[in-house]
Amino acid sequence: MLEKLQAAVSLGEKLGADFVEARFDDLTLRTLRRIKTKKDDTWKDIMLKSRTGTGITCYFDGTPGYSFTASEDLKDIEETVTRAYGMAKAASTAATLKLDFDRRPAVKSRSSDSLSVKIHPRSKGQDYKMDLINRMVDTAFDVGKEIENITGAYGELTGQKLFTNSEASIIEWEFLLVDMMCRVTSKASSGALVFGSERNAGSLGLEAYNRKGSTPEEVGKKAAMFAAEQIQAKSCPAGKFVTLIDNDLAGVLAHESFGHLSEADFVTMGASPLAGKIGNKLGTKYATIVDGGNPDIQKEGGMWLPFDDQGIRANMTTILDRGILKHYLHNRGTAQQLEQEPTGNCRAVHFGFMPIPRMTNTYFKPGDLTEEEALEQLGTGIYAIQTSGGQVEGDGSFLFKADRGYWVEHGEIQHPILEVSLSGNILELLQHIKGATRDIGLWGSYFGGCGKFGQYPLPAGIGGPKLLIQNVTFGGKV
Amino acid sequence: MEFDEIKDALLSEVDTGLKFANSLDKAAEFEIYLYYRSKSNVEIKQGVVEATDGIVAGTAVRATRDQKLSFASSSGISSNHVKRALQDAISSLNATSEKDTRFKGFCEPKPPGKEGKFAPEILELTTDDLVGYSLQLIGNMTKANGRLLAAVGCEKTWGGFAIGNSLGLQQASTSAHNACSAFAMAIDGEERRTGSEELVTRDKALDVSGIGEKAAEKALSLLGAKKLGQTTTLPTLWVPWAAASYILSSLQQATKGSTVVEGLSPLREKQGEKIAHPDFSLVDDGQNPLGIETEAIDGEGHPQGRTVIVRNGMLKSFIFDSYYGRIAGKASTGNCARSGGPFGSRLPYEDAPSIFSKNLEVAAGKQSEEELIASIDGQGLLITDIPIGIFHSSVETGEFSAVASSVFLIEDGEKKRPLEPVSIAGNFYKGLEQLLGVGNNIEITSLFVTTPSLLIDGISVTG
Repeated sequence: MLEKLQAAVSLGEKLGADFVEARFDDLTLRTLRRIKTKKDDTWKDIMLKSRTGTGITCYFDGTPGYSFTASEDLKDIEETVTRAYGMAKAASTAATLKLDFDRRPAVKSRSSDSLSVKIHPRSKGQDYKMDLINRMVDTAFDVGKEIENITGAYGELTGQKLFTNSEASIIEWEFLLVDMMCRVTSKASSGALVFGSERNAGSLGLEAYNRKGSTPEEVGKKAAMFAAEQIQAKSCPAGKFVTLIDNDLAGVLAHESFGHLSEADFVTMGASPLAGKIGNKLGTKYATIVDGGNPDIQKEGGMWLPFDDQGIRANMTTILDRGILKHYLHNRGTAQQLEQEPTGNCRAVHFGFMPIPRMTNTYFKPGDLTEEEALEQLGTGIYAIQTSGGQVEGDGSFLFKADRGYWVEHGEIQHPILEVSLSGNILELLQHIKGATRDIGLWGSYFGGCGKFGQYPLPAGIGGPKLLIQNVTFGGKV
Repeated sequence: MEFDEIKDALLSEVDTGLKFANSLDKAAEFEIYLYYRSKSNVEIKQGVVEATDGIVAGTAVRATRDQKLSFASSSGISSNHVKRALQDAISSLNATSEKDTRFKGFCEPKPPGKEGKFAPEILELTTDDLVGYSLQLIGNMTKANGRLLAAVGCEKTWGGFAIGNSLGLQQASTSAHNACSAFAMAIDGEERRTGSEELVTRDKALDVSGIGEKAAEKALSLLGAKKLGQTTTLPTLWVPWAAASYILSSLQQATKGSTVVEGLSPLREKQGEKIAHPDFSLVDDGQNPLGIETEAIDGEGHPQGRTVIVRNGMLKSFIFDSYYGRIAGKASTGNCARSGGPFGSRLPYEDAPSIFSKNLEVAAGKQSEEELIASIDGQGLLITDIPIGIFHSSVETGEFSAVASSVFLIEDGEKKRPLEPVSIAGNFYKGLEQLLGVGNNIEITSLFVTTPSLLIDGISVTG
């Protein structure tokens, strides 16, 4: 396939493109899902998907044109190149801001660029993975209360990514992502439905599900216990409170509320409130946010992304350093435009999309507090836990959802609270971060993912330490 | 492949694939779904232009034997892609003893419904046309105020899909539409306000006039926003775009046969009961000729139809595919989807059949938007765009908590000043019960929900 990609690059250059990138994905996705209700117990999804395709970007006068094909025939790939070049040329006539980039030395991947795990998902059959779900769902059923529904799911995304370009880079590496999740829905005495969920996901070997705290039984048990706890939970009061947000929520805060604004396409547009603020102090000394495709997977978890879809090798970018804005997340064009180095953040959900600036693993760096110390410092307020997502607008307004939590008084947990949203403006909130815990946990999702400009769902690494924040608006019941 | 050739070409591959499947495993039954769609789009964001043109094509196969059910997909629609998906589906079937005891077979053959309107001129749009329309959008947007940040996009898409199964069903459907979007950001010092507008049509080629201007007006009208300065409960008037997001996050989710059967819908035991104000009626019309989701058949080959979901506040029906319809003892309403809805995947053949509404339509009420505003005593909120986070609600609880960043204060029956973002919270289903009025200002939105403004009482607000 490499020869076909190289032929595509040559053709694009011959047509008149200034620069050509060609990439090929040969990925396999597996989804297994069991649903157990009061009446039924069934395997809803037993799915195996083959996702192969080629994406071609031609650049003409600082403007990209993109096309793609699922066909592996050279003739179809050549037509794809012609389309990409035609789009670039037509688009360049309307471009008033050209994002050229300089040539760099060719990049060659190494075998060590692919993650090595003990039990690769490919080495185990379907039954092995279905057994993981069975163990998880059966435990949740035994532990849960007033159960209406248990959904247990396993997902994996594995396979080869191949890339070349006009610099004669040759990059080949293996994508690896597994996800095991359980969601339990219970019925409160009022008749209202409540839920609890738990997951263990990232660039992991299946040995991760043998580790204490992450076994299918423990994942199922936690989901069921969280749902059972919600049966007795009270509504969260509305208003401004001091809060401790857990590792999941801190991850969504870093990703949704801040990370998107640091993506350099928003910055070059002038649409990000972070535009023109490099060197400005935006947050407290506890606010250090990084992004990189090569975290310490063994120690911290997360996603392994050694290269982006423009062939840039991953590195760890410090976006915010003790509150001071240092760097944006780039593709090659925005990096040159804003006079920074490329950061390895040009990614596409799959071959059907043009790569654009996206996050890899984005998270707050840990601090030195224990959970107990953080609760003590919290005093009276809300311990907000787990999330089903969030969103940010161009002015920095954000909202994210805490799935559950606790009301805390004088550093002591009092009672559980129902799902609630946290909102505000990220630039204000960064100035209210008063501490971070020393523990850190990252994960990457197969189920769900990040969305931007219609490109959804992109697997992204998320997580962090727990964060202590003052003056957070909770949008609960009045 | 040309537009006119799609149905025959896909059906021919489906037929060949089914014969091959039978030769692989005579005891199993199969369903083959082929998808082919051309997509071209141009985006201009503050002078940076990106253009994409490509063919999305893929195969999905379901295989069943002894109540076991498997799914496999493959990128591409050649014979080899179909064979690979068939072989993967059979190997999954062979590798398990687990059953889906509720599965009672694939969709029975029925005469197809009607395709929606087709405008051949959409196929004629060139890349240069899309670039030209995009420039026109920006020109119209920035003539209102040269300091606005502008991001626009134009798209044309055409294609079709075919389905065949071992029960003899073999059907196909084709469609084409074009769309544009405009996003404006007005900046004044540190204040940033945004406005957006979209248009999607299938019955005529793009006419972008008015779209850029409206986005610009929305953004500019929000400058000078002040804090609400209180935490309280207020009536809220949701304009059609915002109301569409409310319906999509609530009734769309809770009336799907899957959430009802799986015990996840708060409305699961409320069929025949009053769930909303008597002025509220909701239909899902998969046969509206102008509806973007209108096709002759749904994602499993069943004819798409029209379902009354709520009539005069009474919950009349849920929406079903064959699978969940059979479990619930109901007929399919033609709502099987492959990655349905406005946020559906670009590779829909990779998603298992599921249930999604096609074109939701809230019936018009009697009052104009001005009359609804005038009906509010004291204070209220006018929500003029989709609240941030509205789609992150969970169907089970119906609780929502979102931020209205495009919002105005209503006072003594009049629209007053713009407000800084306001947190709004409540329960979707209680909100429908507390509906105070339904507007007569029907709008078609690209959320595939057509609705007028909705005036909803009892929303918690903080800002």
